[in-house]
Amino acid sequence: MKLIRLLAAVLAGAATLVWFRRRPGRLRLDRAWAALRLAARGGARYTASAPRLFAAAGEQRQLLREDLALRTAEDVADTLGSMKGVMMKIGQMASYVDDGLSPAVRHTLARLQDSVPPMSPRLAAAVVEEELGVPPERAFARWDPRPIAAASIGQVHRAVTLDGRAVAVKVQYPGISETIAADLRNVALLRRMLRIAAPAQDVDALLSELRDRIGEELDYRREASNQRLLAAYYNGHPTIRIPGVVSELSTRRLLTSELSSGARFAELATWPQHERDLAAETIYRFVFRSLYDVRAFNGDPHPGNYLFQRGGQVTFLDFGLVRHFSPGELQPLIHMARTICVEHDPEAFRLSLEDAGFLRRGAPLSTQAIVEHMAVFYDTIREPGPVTITSDYASSVVRRFFDLRSPVADYISVPRPYVVLQRINLGLFAVLGELAATADWRAISEEIWPFVQGPAATPMGEAEAVWRARHHATPGPARLAA
Amino acid sequence: MVTMTESGAGAPAKELVSLADTADLYATATGLMERSAAAFASGVPEGARDDGFFGPASVTWRMSTDLASPVAGLRSLLMQALHPLAMAGVDQHSGWRRDPVGRLAATSAYLTTVIFGERAAARQAAAQVRRIHDHVRGADAVTGRMYAASDPSLLLWVHGALVDSVLAAGSLVGTALSAADSNRYVAEMVTAAEITGVPRHLVPSSVPELDLYIASVRPTLRCTPAAAESMAYLLDPPGMDVETAEIWQDVRHAAIAALPRWARQMYGYDAVPPVTPGRRTEIRQSLGVLDAMFLGQPGVLEARQRITLRMRGGQRA
Repeated sequence: MKLIRLLAAVLAGAATLVWFRRRPGRLRLDRAWAALRLAARGGARYTASAPRLFAAAGEQRQLLREDLALRTAEDVADTLGSMKGVMMKIGQMASYVDDGLSPAVRHTLARLQDSVPPMSPRLAAAVVEEELGVPPERAFARWDPRPIAAASIGQVHRAVTLDGRAVAVKVQYPGISETIAADLRNVALLRRMLRIAAPAQDVDALLSELRDRIGEELDYRREASNQRLLAAYYNGHPTIRIPGVVSELSTRRLLTSELSSGARFAELATWPQHERDLAAETIYRFVFRSLYDVRAFNGDPHPGNYLFQRGGQVTFLDFGLVRHFSPGELQPLIHMARTICVEHDPEAFRLSLEDAGFLRRGAPLSTQAIVEHMAVFYDTIREPGPVTITSDYASSVVRRFFDLRSPVADYISVPRPYVVLQRINLGLFAVLGELAATADWRAISEEIWPFVQGPAATPMGEAEAVWRARHHATPGPARLAA
Repeated sequence: MVTMTESGAGAPAKELVSLADTADLYATATGLMERSAAAFASGVPEGARDDGFFGPASVTWRMSTDLASPVAGLRSLLMQALHPLAMAGVDQHSGWRRDPVGRLAATSAYLTTVIFGERAAARQAAAQVRRIHDHVRGADAVTGRMYAASDPSLLLWVHGALVDSVLAAGSLVGTALSAADSNRYVAEMVTAAEITGVPRHLVPSSVPELDLYIASVRPTLRCTPAAAESMAYLLDPPGMDVETAEIWQDVRHAAIAALPRWARQMYGYDAVPPVTPGRRTEIRQSLGVLDAMFLGQPGVLEARQRITLRMRGGQRA
C-alpha cells in the first residue's frame, strides 16, 4: 500500500507540471547571449580520449578486481544465478522505494553487488565473438580487453570501430539472460524475498513491475532502440546529450554506443553552484521533455548515469529501463493537471482522478481533503520565481507518500501503467536535492507543458527554443505520437 | 556434523533436559546465520602459512563452497542422528536444547577450521574436540548400551554420514562430481576422521568402501525419540520468521529427498515427493537466496574471496 501511495503522490507531482497558464515572456539580452554560448558548446559532442570515460549504472563493482574475474559461464552462474542476479536488481529498484527497507537488508543487497567481479578479458571476448561472429580484435580496430565500468548485468569496454569511431561496448554476462528469466518464473520465492526485503510495500505491485522491467533489461536490443529514439529526438539539443548507437555492432547481448566523456556526479558536486544549477536544469528538461514530447520516461535517473560538462551539458547513459506511454495513458495525467491547476476546478480534478483509476470512486472524503493531500507535491512549481530543491524537500515528498495516517491514503492507488513513474520522480527529486538546485521550475515547466508552451524562461530555454524550431518544426506536444 | 563437542569446558557431564523443559528453549533459534558467518569469516585464515590438510586444489575445498552445503549439512545431521549411541551422546551432553544455535555454530566453526585452516589450527581444533569427547560417556536410555564419544566407531559414523551427505546433496541439487572426483573426495576426507581419533586404516577411502561401510552400520540404526525430537526441531526450527521458514522448507525437502530410502522410512518421511528438474531449480533458487543472506554477513565475502584467490593459485600450481 505504501508503494501505491508513493506512486500516486509522485505522479501527482509530475502531473502538476501541466499546470499554469502562459505568463508574459521575460526575454533578457544576457540570456540570449548565454544561449548562443550554450549552442556553440553543442558542437564538441564527443571527446574520444578522455581518461574518465563512462560511468554506467553507478556501480563501482569490486573496483573491477581482475584477480577475482569471472572466467567461465559457470562462474557467472555461480555468482549471478540462483536468484542472486535478480536480488541485485531488487536492490537497485528498492533503493528507489526506500523507506520500507531495513538497514540489514540494504547492507545485504549492497554486499551482493560487491560480490560480482568483472568478466575476464577472455570471457568478455568470447561473448563478443558469439555475438558478432569474429573476435573483438577483428570486429574493432582497437579493443581494450579491460573493462572500464560495470553495468547491471554486464560490463563496459572501450573500443575503436573499424571506421575510427571511439565507442563504449556494453557486454552482457554469458548465460545470464536465461538464468534470470528462469529465476523470474519463481513467483512464490520472489514474493517471499520481497516480503523480507520490503515488508511494508505492496508486494504484488512491486513484483509485477520488477518482472517486467528486469525482463526488458535482458535484451540489449530493446535498450538500443530506446537509446536510438532519444538520441534522434535530442539530436542537436544545446545541453542534452545522448550517445548514438552503433547499430551494426549491437545485438541482444552487445550494445555499442559512441563514447562520451565528462565529469561524474561526485565531481559535479565540487563545481560552482551555478554549474550545478545548469546541470539540474538540463536533467529536469530531459525528464519532462521526454515525457511530454516523446512519451517516454527513462526509469533510471541514477547519479551514475550522467556525465557532466561545463555549461549545463549532461550526457545521459543507460536506457535499459525506459517506459513508453500511449497517448491514452498520458492523457489522464494531462487531464488531472489541467483540472486542478489550470481550470482550478477541484470537483473536475476529483473526477479525473477517479476516471484514471487513482482514486476509488465514491470515497467518503471531501474534495477539499483530496486536494490538500496532493498540494504538498506542487511546492516547487506553485509560484513563479526561483525555488531551491533541497534534500530535505526530496525527503519530505517521500515522507508525505508514506504518510499512512492520512485518511486520503486509503483510497488512492496507482494503475499499472504509471507504476514506473515513481522511480523517475523519486530519483529526479533525489538528484536535484543532492545538487541543491535552484531554478524557476514553474517557468521551465510552462515551457514544457504541452497546452501551455510558455516562452523561454532561461538562457537554456532560449537555446532549446532555437533547437526546437530547427529540429522539431511543428510546435505542440507529442509530435512523435502515432 | 554431530561431533559431540561441548561448546565450552566444564559443562555439566550428564545434563538431561526433559521434554517439558524445552518449550521456551526452542525460542532461541535465531542468529544461526550470524554466528555461522562469524565462524566462517574467522575460520578462513588471512595470509595462511600452509594450505591446511586439503588445500586449494582439493575436491574438498570445491565441495565446501558449493551452493548445496546447507542441504549436505542438514542431511548429514539426519543421518548421524540415526545412530542411537551417537545421538544419545549429543542428547545427553551437548546442551543443544539450551543453545541449539551455539551448538550448530560450533560445529560449523570446527568444520571451517579443519577444511580451510592451517594444519596447526586444524590439529588444535581437533585436539579440543577429543578432549571434550573424553568426558562424554554414558548409557543410551533406549538401548541401554554404554557409549563413549571417543569410541572410533561412533566418530567414524559421524564422519561417514557427513562425507556421504556431501556427495548425495551435491548430486541432487548442487555440483555433481564425476566418479573419479567422488572417490578423490572420500579419500581426501580420511584425514578429517583421522584427526578426531579414528585410525586411518578404518576410514573408507573410496565411494565403494563408503557404501559398504554405511551398509554395515545400517542394522544398528534407528530413529530414537531423541533423534525424532532433535531432527523435528531442525527441520522446522521455531523462531524463524515466516518467509525464511518457507525458504528453509526447500532446504528440508532436498535434505530429506537426498536421504537413502531406508533412512527416510525410519523417520517416517516416505511420502516426500521426488526432486524433479523443476523442483531442483526452485530449491537452488532458495539456496541462492540463503547464500546471498549469508554473504551479507560481515566478513563472509572477504573470506570467500580469500578462498577463490587461493583456489586459482592452486589451479596454476
